[in-house]
Amino acid sequence: VAVGDAVPWQVVDHYENPRNVGSLDRKAKNVGTGLVGAPACGDVMKLQVEVDENGKIVDARFKTFGCGSAIASSSLATEWVKGKTVDEALKIKNTDIAKELCLPPVKLHCSMLAEDAIKAALADYKLKQDPNKEESEKKA
Amino acid sequence: KEQYYSEQHSSLINKAYETLLNPLSRGLYLLELHGVKPAQETDCDGDSVFLTEIMEINEKLAEPKNEDILEEIETLIKVKQEELTKEVTAAFERDDLQEAKKLLAKMKYFANLEDKLKNKKIPS
Repeated sequence: VAVGDAVPWQVVDHYENPRNVGSLDRKAKNVGTGLVGAPACGDVMKLQVEVDENGKIVDARFKTFGCGSAIASSSLATEWVKGKTVDEALKIKNTDIAKELCLPPVKLHCSMLAEDAIKAALADYKLKQDPNKEESEKKA
Repeated sequence: KEQYYSEQHSSLINKAYETLLNPLSRGLYLLELHGVKPAQETDCDGDSVFLTEIMEINEKLAEPKNEDILEEIETLIKVKQEELTKEVTAAFERDDLQEAKKLLAKMKYFANLEDKLKNKKIPS
């Protein structure tokens, strides 16, 4: 095994000690669920956020079935969104995740999937807060 | 020199055989021949209903080994793969390459599940 093939310890850490694995109540109004897949590699990622009345993310969980980098990316994502407001969390970029985990180029798409999962979860949460508004915006 | 040539061809034939034998790789190759790019690494799937199904099967597989459930899952995966293979065939036949691409993406998720199932069945 060449040195260049070594798995970054950050990825190993999240793989062996994943943070926030699990589920939140999908039906709860203040829970946003993002479910995304990567068709090229067949990885699937679910990320959920629980938001309080002040718009702050107080809890996050994930379940990912895929490679170590995908698991690590989503694990890190749940760590990062906690404590942030919805708008702050929307600013999390895949490049930040990739940098933190030292992802090699071939695994950069895993961090993109995590960013997509965050955005999907937050979009779901927003939709739940004001479904009527979304409908009238669509009609406009 | 002739031996080298034969070796090259031999491995190419093996690769061709394996590619064509497996419906997923065969389908992806056909897409390529038609000039359609397969799903890119940076593509993202948002099909909730389908992904929920994949998630649920994955979750069942992740549970402690249970022979009956494993058999159930194995059958489910086989059935789905056969269904999808038929649909992909039909899509290619009517030249609906975009639909074929979508269906092949779905097949990829099931191919992964098939691999995980195989690993699960290996006695630990």
